[in-house]
Amino acid sequence: MSALLTEPTEESRAAAPRGLLPAPTRRRARGWLPPIFHKTWESLRIALGSLRANKLRTALTLVGVVVGVAAVIAVVTIIKGLDQTVASTFSSQGSTVFTVSKRPQVITSREDFIRFNRRKDVTQDDAESVARLCTACWRTGIAANAQATVKAGDQSSDGVRVRGLTLSMYAIEDTDIIAGRSWTDVEEAAGRDVAVIGPDILDNLFAGAPPEQVIGKQVRVEGRSYEVIGVTERLGKIFGFSRDNFVQIPYPTFKKAFGARVSLIVFVQVPEDAQLPAAEDQVRNIMRNRRGKSFHDEEDGFALETQAVFIDLYKTATANIYIVTIGVAAISLVVGGIVVMNIMLVSVTERTREIGVRKAVGASRRDVLLQFLIESVVITSIGGMLGVVAGFLLAFALASAMGFPLLFSVASAILGVTVSSAVGIASGLWPAWKAAKLDPIEALRSE
Amino acid sequence: MSEALLEMESPTTTEEANGAGAVNADALEHGDLLAHDDGLPAALISMRDIWRTYEMGTEQLHALRGVSFDVQRGEYLAIIGPSGSGKSTLMNLIGCLDTPSQGSYWINSKLVSAMEDDELARIRNQEIGFVFQTFNLLARATALHNVELPLIYAGVSSADRRARAEHALGSVELSDRMTHRPNELSGGQRQRVAIARALVNNPSILLADEPTGALDTKTSYEIMNLFEQLHELGNTIIVVTHEHDIAARAHRIIHIRDGEIEKDELTR
Repeated sequence: MSALLTEPTEESRAAAPRGLLPAPTRRRARGWLPPIFHKTWESLRIALGSLRANKLRTALTLVGVVVGVAAVIAVVTIIKGLDQTVASTFSSQGSTVFTVSKRPQVITSREDFIRFNRRKDVTQDDAESVARLCTACWRTGIAANAQATVKAGDQSSDGVRVRGLTLSMYAIEDTDIIAGRSWTDVEEAAGRDVAVIGPDILDNLFAGAPPEQVIGKQVRVEGRSYEVIGVTERLGKIFGFSRDNFVQIPYPTFKKAFGARVSLIVFVQVPEDAQLPAAEDQVRNIMRNRRGKSFHDEEDGFALETQAVFIDLYKTATANIYIVTIGVAAISLVVGGIVVMNIMLVSVTERTREIGVRKAVGASRRDVLLQFLIESVVITSIGGMLGVVAGFLLAFALASAMGFPLLFSVASAILGVTVSSAVGIASGLWPAWKAAKLDPIEALRSE
Repeated sequence: MSEALLEMESPTTTEEANGAGAVNADALEHGDLLAHDDGLPAALISMRDIWRTYEMGTEQLHALRGVSFDVQRGEYLAIIGPSGSGKSTLMNLIGCLDTPSQGSYWINSKLVSAMEDDELARIRNQEIGFVFQTFNLLARATALHNVELPLIYAGVSSADRRARAEHALGSVELSDRMTHRPNELSGGQRQRVAIARALVNNPSILLADEPTGALDTKTSYEIMNLFEQLHELGNTIIVVTHEHDIAARAHRIIHIRDGEIEKDELTR
């Protein structure tokens, strides 16, 4: 009877040499990191390896996710930038100001445009009545606008906004004058030819000379000469339009130069925004009286607007842009996800034998599932990161081309990568599960 | 003989009144079916009345018909049989890649036949080292990484893993080929990488399926010599083959035919 057939005792079992290797310990030395870490790291290595092995395929797979994330990032970056500009612009006048004008500043239909045009002009008499009768009003001002060509020396600039203002408008609009001064009451009353110019005029007509140097120089508007007495602070662009391209002259001077038949905008300011509704009611009543509107008449015959109108309009517009963007992003992420799922299914089929080997050496279902899930998440999160970068670059290109402000948002970048990883999980789950439940025998037999 | 074992034996003896029973009687005579006092088999591998049935439409195909045998620690066993004999099915069962339709299978006193998928994966990881005919190495991974594979699933830390994999490759004389990928290695070298992978987690059993089937005669000879050395070092080796000269290197041969053990012989 050979030794190996004797019944092994406990001692002999313990003493029996096991395996070729006198390994440090039979019980595995696990180290301080949990096994899941080693497995995850292994999965990550495999994932990167297989992505590197199929570069073109990986690149094509990424497109959908990249486009989706880039669209969101670009739009969010631009709109965040706009939000900030809009907020700072409107808060400088605050919610204490409203205007009375012939037409609203925003007209959405042709019918409205025709209707508003039939209204009476808002006149200096209207403005004076408001100033006299409105007890809740604090400051009132007049602004009349015209477009004109402005010249200085041999330089000329088209489409400059010429504003006829009362002196109170400087207080209402909180205008900062960085050189020179605004006009005096006497100059206004006398209708002197003096002008306060915006920084763009400095750039366009005086070759960007320092503000102090243009004080006392002459600018010509529609053949009339004005002495430059002040330069305002630069406000920058909004929606790509400069807010610094203007010449401000006293309203009486404006009347002389452009005539009195221009509809005015009456600005009204209250000390605090809580008083705004009361002042609006008073002004509406005064103006309806002047237009002869009865109590039952729906139509005011003038437009009474606060900054809220713009903010509402802006919010509606950006909300619509967001909705469209989210739609575009959702579609490209879904398509991208389907592409990733397809590629993962191909990958599982291609690597059936590898899965068999891994199972044979001890990979559990969970290990295999995790491996393919990680691979899918790696693909989509790389897509997400590329999308974030592409989105920022796109926003940057658009912003610098159109004079938009920009605000890089870390939150949107994180969101982009998170969403794309989620797409990875969603589209990797089925292929990974398919891989996990493969029968090891059949997997090993596959070619 | 303990009563527990008699109980266990009872279905077998009735099933195997024809032929195979003789083998069992022979085995009993050797005393290798003796159980410990706790009722669990003492042998490293214990198979009792293993059936494996495949459903082919309405037909039932019995790949194994009541196979019973034990393997002791340190044995060098060959399982031989013609194609279609059921030896591949038996190998899959021994390797815990599959579970029997009926019957009990213990490895190291663990009842494998009742285990779920993930438990089987764990047993494969800890108790079985596979060597395949076609090597089954990961093509994109280096020799070292291939050998590390079982340790990854065992949750061994990377430094430890590397040391053990290097040692395993050293013991099959491939220290200078560790960073090579399978396509940069010869057939014999690939099979030695596979053997290193099989051994690296100190399994109880080295299970080889036609290990020389894809190798030339000279290389086959080398690999079989390596198996012999491994056996001398105390490893339990089971080789599944259809080649008699490969089986002849083992110390015990189980002949399978038509899903039954035809002969179970000690050759040395």
